[in-house]
Amino acid sequence: MQNLIEIKEVSKEFKILNRREGLIGSVKDLFSRNYKIVKAVDNISISIAPGEIVGYLGPNGAGKSTTIKMMTGVLEPTSGEILVNGNVPYKNRSKNAQEIGVVFGQRSQLWWSLPLIESFRLLKDIYQIDDSEYENVIKLYKSLVDIEPLLHKPVRQMSLGQRTLSDILAAFLHNPKIVFLDEPTIGLDVSMKNKIRILIQALNHEKNTTVILTTHDMGDVDALCKRIVIIDKGKMLYDNDIEHLKGFFGSYRTLKLRLGENETQQTDVNLENALAKHFTEYEAISVSSDDEWTSILINEEKIKLMDVMKAVQDNYFIRDMKLEEISTEEVIRKIYEEGV
Amino acid sequence: MKLKKYFALTRCGILESLQFRASLLVMFAGNLVYLTVVYFLWKSIYASSGTNSVNGMTFHDTLIYLVLATALFNFMEMYAVWEIGRNIQTGKIVLDLLKPIKYRSYLFWSYSGSFVVNFFTTFLPTFITVCIVTNSAVPLGINLLYFALSIVPAVIINYSIDFIVGTICLYTESIWGINIMKQVIVMLFSGATIPIAFFPKTLKNIVNYLPFTSIYNTPLSILLNGNPQNANILTMLGIQVIWCIALLIVSSVFWKISLRQITVNGG
Repeated sequence: MQNLIEIKEVSKEFKILNRREGLIGSVKDLFSRNYKIVKAVDNISISIAPGEIVGYLGPNGAGKSTTIKMMTGVLEPTSGEILVNGNVPYKNRSKNAQEIGVVFGQRSQLWWSLPLIESFRLLKDIYQIDDSEYENVIKLYKSLVDIEPLLHKPVRQMSLGQRTLSDILAAFLHNPKIVFLDEPTIGLDVSMKNKIRILIQALNHEKNTTVILTTHDMGDVDALCKRIVIIDKGKMLYDNDIEHLKGFFGSYRTLKLRLGENETQQTDVNLENALAKHFTEYEAISVSSDDEWTSILINEEKIKLMDVMKAVQDNYFIRDMKLEEISTEEVIRKIYEEGV
Repeated sequence: MKLKKYFALTRCGILESLQFRASLLVMFAGNLVYLTVVYFLWKSIYASSGTNSVNGMTFHDTLIYLVLATALFNFMEMYAVWEIGRNIQTGKIVLDLLKPIKYRSYLFWSYSGSFVVNFFTTFLPTFITVCIVTNSAVPLGINLLYFALSIVPAVIINYSIDFIVGTICLYTESIWGINIMKQVIVMLFSGATIPIAFFPKTLKNIVNYLPFTSIYNTPLSILLNGNPQNANILTMLGIQVIWCIALLIVSSVFWKISLRQITVNGG
């Protein structure tokens, strides 16, 4: 199938004025031509097929928003090539705009003081949506979420969750091929996050819309994305599906234990020493603990979990235990911290 | 079909203006206070001059001119510079740029709603009041039509200047100083605060070569001129149209160039 988005070896550099400190420095800066070049995005290539939901992850300042702005046509890449639905976004911004929808978590495109329905009507005219098509979309929305009470409520009176929901609906209104969601669940409570995830999934499913999602919330990723792209410092670290990512890190599991009555902080050092004596490949184990639980992260390709269990039981009294699979969040944290 | 999206914006603008009843009221009250100040200021100016007519304008003429200038200002002023600046600083401009409509037009038409509202809430009442109070010192004839015609380029010139100043905000990322300066220059040189007739001769000459008079002075002189001569009107309108086209081109070219340089805050 033809790819909807094709990004080839794209880089984006920003010229940033070297700011000096203090009052005199600030005055000097007015006349300074001392720029440094910052590479926000460095040689990234991604292809995205129609209907995919792609999680686009990276720590703050990694270059996520810059990439999205290049895909929407607000920024022009310094080098490389971007094709969105066959268009070069920054050259045909208006044409591209017709095909994409955008939600920036912290900003709203809705008219602040007007009821939601007025913003929808406006978008209908701006994007020149047919009456019948518009009604179908509204009908679809009504079947997915309870928007009736929202439609006649001025946007400024909405809660953050309701507003985000409305913004997402507004972004899908003109039936775009691609929707960019930039941290859509930021600052929302658990139930609202869940509602929004279900909505995004449903819209993706109903309309086969490609969704590109940036987020810091692994819950979003686990719930929505099959494929994730991770970037850091402008460089692409990972582009594959989530399952593969977990496999990539070996078959890790975490054994969580609550040991003896009086044991305190010393436990993990003692335990680590004890285990180190017991196993030759002790680097496959790492021990950490918080107030309640002592966690032992085990690479099961090297050491069997049950052996660790037994070793601990020989030396300690185990009050309680549980077993955890490694979560995407931990995998990603490992990537952020250590690289692939 | 194409116009429909613009009128949809106008509609939202009207709806939005009407949302803020309190603001309309405050504007009305503020307007009254300002006009009172203008009244007493010019009264004392005329009193101290000792003659009935200064620079060919009687106290009456001056007052009518200034009252209508204020009404016109309230109707035409768009505060587009603030809006552009705010959009840039909050980064909302990204969302506006991603509409399948030019940012320039998007902004203009979303403001056009407040034109309509302000026309009915400030300009028209003031105009009628002036007519009644002065016992129709304002001629009501063909000049009204010419006035309406000259308002169109005036609005566009005013908006283009705003837009150019707003574009400068892309570089400075701050608006305050620039906007204040713009406001003072426009208000003074357009004849909105002091009738052009009062300007010293050299300044009058300079101002004649600037676009600002086309915003307030031209429409007002047309409005207050009871027996207009066609040739005269045509020159005035012609000058307006020329400025209008020139500024449209300058503002859109400047915007296009600047947009390439845009670095949007945030993210």
